Amino acid sequence: MRGTRAISRIAIVGIVIAIIVVAAVVGYFLMQPAKKESVLIMGTTDTVESCLDPARAYDYFGWEIIQALGSGLVEYRPGATGAAEDIVPALATSWSVSSDGLVWTFNLRQGVKFDDGTEFNATHVKYTFDRGMGIADPEGPFVGIGYSDIIENVTVVSKYVVRFYLKIPFSAFLSLLACQASYIVDPKYAPPDQVVEYKAGDARGSHPMGLGPYRLTKWTRTAGRDQEMVLEANPNYWNASGGYPKTQKIIIKFYADSASLALAIDAGEIDIAFRQLSATDINNLKTKTHLKVWEGTGAFIQYLVLQEKRPPFDNPTVRKAVAAAINRTAIVNTVFLGQVKKLYSMIPIGMFGHRDAFLTLGDPNYTLTRTLLAPLGYNETHKLTFKLWYETSGHYPQSPELAQMLKASLEASGVISVTLEGRDWAQYRQERIAETMDAYILGWYPDYIDPDDYIYPFLHSSGGSWLHHNYNNTEMDQLIEWARGNTSQSVREQLYEQIQDLMVKDCPIIPIYQGSAWAVTKTNVKGVYLDITQSWRHWLVYKE
Amino acid sequence: MSKPIVKRSMLSRIIPAIGSLRERGLSGWLVIFGAAIVISIILMTLLAPWISPYDPTTKGVNVGAPLTPPNSKFPFGTNHLGQDMLSRVISGGGVMLQVAFLSVAICLAIGVPLGLFSSYMGGILDRSVCLVMDSIYAFPGLILAIAIAAMLGRGVVNMALSIAVVYVPSYFRVVRSQVLSIKEMPYVEAARSIGAKSRTILFKYILPNVVPSIVVVATVNFADAILTAAGLTFVGLGVEVDIPDWGWDLANGRKLLPSGAWWVITFPGIFIILLALGFTLMGEGLSEILNPKLGE
Amino acid sequence: MTLRAYIISRILLTIPMILILLTMVFVIMRVLPGDPVLLHFEKAEHPEAIEEMRRKLGLDKPIWVQYFDYLFGLLRGDLGKSMHDFSPVAEQIFSAFPATLELAIYSMIVAVSIGIFLGVEASKSYNQPKDHTIRVFGIVTYAIPIFFLGMIFQIIFAVNLRWLPVGGRTYPAMEPKGFTMPLSQPPGGVTTHLFLSCVAGLIVSTLCLVAFKLKGKKITRKILGVLISVFLATWILWAWVGWHFISMGELHIATGLYTIDSLLEGNLYKFAEAIRYLILPSLTLGLVLSGVFIRLTRSNMFETLRLDFVTAAKARGLKERTVIYGYALRNAFLPILTMMGLQFAALLAGAILTETTFSWPGLGRYIVERINFRDYTAIQGAVVFFGILVSIVSLVTDLLYAYLDPRIRL
Repeated sequence: MRGTRAISRIAIVGIVIAIIVVAAVVGYFLMQPAKKESVLIMGTTDTVESCLDPARAYDYFGWEIIQALGSGLVEYRPGATGAAEDIVPALATSWSVSSDGLVWTFNLRQGVKFDDGTEFNATHVKYTFDRGMGIADPEGPFVGIGYSDIIENVTVVSKYVVRFYLKIPFSAFLSLLACQASYIVDPKYAPPDQVVEYKAGDARGSHPMGLGPYRLTKWTRTAGRDQEMVLEANPNYWNASGGYPKTQKIIIKFYADSASLALAIDAGEIDIAFRQLSATDINNLKTKTHLKVWEGTGAFIQYLVLQEKRPPFDNPTVRKAVAAAINRTAIVNTVFLGQVKKLYSMIPIGMFGHRDAFLTLGDPNYTLTRTLLAPLGYNETHKLTFKLWYETSGHYPQSPELAQMLKASLEASGVISVTLEGRDWAQYRQERIAETMDAYILGWYPDYIDPDDYIYPFLHSSGGSWLHHNYNNTEMDQLIEWARGNTSQSVREQLYEQIQDLMVKDCPIIPIYQGSAWAVTKTNVKGVYLDITQSWRHWLVYKE
Repeated sequence: MSKPIVKRSMLSRIIPAIGSLRERGLSGWLVIFGAAIVISIILMTLLAPWISPYDPTTKGVNVGAPLTPPNSKFPFGTNHLGQDMLSRVISGGGVMLQVAFLSVAICLAIGVPLGLFSSYMGGILDRSVCLVMDSIYAFPGLILAIAIAAMLGRGVVNMALSIAVVYVPSYFRVVRSQVLSIKEMPYVEAARSIGAKSRTILFKYILPNVVPSIVVVATVNFADAILTAAGLTFVGLGVEVDIPDWGWDLANGRKLLPSGAWWVITFPGIFIILLALGFTLMGEGLSEILNPKLGE
Repeated sequence: MTLRAYIISRILLTIPMILILLTMVFVIMRVLPGDPVLLHFEKAEHPEAIEEMRRKLGLDKPIWVQYFDYLFGLLRGDLGKSMHDFSPVAEQIFSAFPATLELAIYSMIVAVSIGIFLGVEASKSYNQPKDHTIRVFGIVTYAIPIFFLGMIFQIIFAVNLRWLPVGGRTYPAMEPKGFTMPLSQPPGGVTTHLFLSCVAGLIVSTLCLVAFKLKGKKITRKILGVLISVFLATWILWAWVGWHFISMGELHIATGLYTIDSLLEGNLYKFAEAIRYLILPSLTLGLVLSGVFIRLTRSNMFETLRLDFVTAAKARGLKERTVIYGYALRNAFLPILTMMGLQFAALLAGAILTETTFSWPGLGRYIVERINFRDYTAIQGAVVFFGILVSIVSLVTDLLYAYLDPRIRL
């Protein structure tokens, strides 16, 4: 037969390769480049710990998302330092307060629509606060921050005017209204007596807001863990005319640990990595030229609480001696590689009222420790012994290392001997409530940006009851109540000065360090503001 | 009945076996080699306070810059707290060795008598104990160990207890199979017929024959205990933080991976492998010697 | 006894086993320290709220009431609600299980493949250095802590070489590594796409080759011409038309096993992504389990290779590879199958550590998390689930064994 010569194998392979090369070249020139769409991918190790309902959510990440989906009457402008001028209009355009500080009147923004076209008005404000205080979830911010201790009632004066009647003059009231717990809800999605929880497959039904820069179009969970969230621009956003949000779509990916997150941002899988990267990761990523490391003001603090119910910490001299033996420099440099700040005050650096009050006790001052303890019978042969407790579930960054360094620092005084007790978060909480721990390490994120939020929940006998450390000082209580009620900034500063001096005298709690906020992004990402509000403002970020 | 069964005391059965290890070829070498590894690691741990160059606990923090790669000053590098990894490796075996020995001791104290009495007595008690043991045996043990350890809390004793609970069935089964086969042997029947008490029969006749199998199971138990202890520490259920521990270094070094600090996990890991390997080799060798298989 | 009676008796035996395990776990959790109620409270502790929560979680009743409530619920098929987030435990377990199943399947494939290959090699050179090395390898892999091996792989392949991801399973929206733009362009870039089109073309051509029984015959020009046309046609179809239909959007989840689901969708990209994330975890778990299979294959092959029929086959001139893999290995098939069933429990235990190391969202990681949360119902549910799973696997293994081994008749 003609044309049936066998062809060698090599020839066949050669022909195939030639075809592939030709095809690749031809195809390359004929394929069109892609159209750009504005999408950002954020990675995080956080998850929504309870839900996205302002009446109950009290975790950092929940508040971060609530802020993207909703709006409050006022907000902090980006780059805020916590001063009064930093509070700017959001859903309220102007406001006034009566001379006794008990009546606040707000004029609302007009023409703002919910997603079904209903116009936002004063009834929605009243509904939000009545609902929050009515639900009074014991673990929610309304109870934790004490809304019902502050607000008497909310009255609708007219369609666009709402009035708050307060029980006490509360100078941080605007700050309170700027925090995520005060965000306005849509009555259609927020039943008055029920908390809105995650609903599988129904992203819109999983949260009750609607006036924010974004809509939640997707939220998936597998086996109880968040997998992905998608935020898409809300065309009804009251500030849409300002060009916000700057990025139309944000995809949030959840990573299980800081190592995966660090590798993901390094490999370019995500555009932004925010919370929680370890100190070593941050140092490592700072060296990468294709990434940018953003450092912002922190408001997260960690502190040591001392149990005053029984020896040895029922004696303020002992407490002072321990405070004098803390080497914050070593802790900051060793555990956190210098990425956090030493803290000598309960009020964070950068907030008004901050004073390095504890510096008077030294950093460290072992002589003072020994001098204070000697008359009580503690010396090198008979050391002051107690247990130092810490959590092991990763609730705070690097707790075991912090505990180790604290122990090292205290023992370096020569007259103290510390035993470490680590417990996972479940048991740690239990021990705290049972008041079995001598000394324990805790942390704090701000609810609202005001020194009151760092003083009242710690030093006030009822505000600080959750610490279970049995500190009661009526003089302190009085000072705190005056400070939160007074409207004059200078008077408040003086009062906080007194409060902090008294705190050093009593030493119920010892502040250790203040963390900074860190974000790592690709070099073409802009609009990242890490200010004292600790809020991640999704609507400001964009890619060039 | 194929060969005469001679009554011998336990020791006289074991020692000649060990004495003739060298002549046993590969199996003998396995045991010697494995034992050598284990004994050296035990010695290293015991001598740690004298031979480690730096203090592996909190006092030895920042002896060097954090995360330095292995070099002449720090042959195993330093970790993120600036501690010398060589010192931590030298002192780190203590926890695992304690957990292993303690869990084997608990298993021996519970599993062996339980197996002996239950299989010898028989009846409904035997069947129910058997059922419980089989259930635990068939189930993925690590889950149980984690659940128990999580509830008990940290510490060497708690880890040993959770491992022991999971491992007792293995001892039980091995003892039981031996007891069942020996129980029906003529000389046992003979002893019974002349009125020997059950306890005597158990301890004088049956137990010595069961010992070799127990020894093999125990060595495997050691190896498993070490690996399980490492696993428990890895998921967060280990010992207190200022005690140097290989498992802790592995668990903690995980955070340091993206920075490329491979030495923090590699060296402790290698030693865990060595220790587990030592016991496994001993187990392999001993099982061949004490229970010779055909054709191997 | 009949097959049916056997199966029924085995199923009945499962019940006491699960009961025992469940009771153990139930009692352990409620007796030892750790209280899930308090986990719901962070700051303000109001005793009434705590009592309310205790009632809500059912922990206010005495232990035996809780126990029987749970048992009756089990009989109805209700695994209860999680004490951490109040969603149904059954739902959570079934959504986490496919991930573990996929990991288990591929790890077993790796373990058996390595085991058979090395076992055969060892048996061929009995008592020589190669044999000893392989035996030592088998012992050493058993002595390596799984998570350590996993971390070493992560260091080498994920951190240093950047070939493979460090963890996770990939996301339902399955975007390939580094690809951040939504699709208006072939995923992975134009060159990858064209390369895959060629792969598709080659596959189709080879299928034609085999289908038309052309393999044995010489390849003429005409036939080559036909093959080239087939190749080009497939390439054109795939490259120019196909990628409009291959979207990298959501993977439609049918079985929960991403590798199967992506193939069902006909999407090779998603398949490649799913495999990419599977490689390191299954390699880790498979390697650690392979030791048993190495030993089993080795001893089995050692006996088989000395049988007469093997010598006869070799004398007839068959290649050694054909003899071993075609005939001799059949003897080992049953024991290997049985061993696979026996190793299932070990596989599940190993999966826990592997999933924690690689952040693989399966049941193992779920259990570890839930233990931290003191989520009693979730842990109980997982224990029951694992128990049933292990029993089913062992039953199936025994049945398969009996079915395949003609010497055993039930």
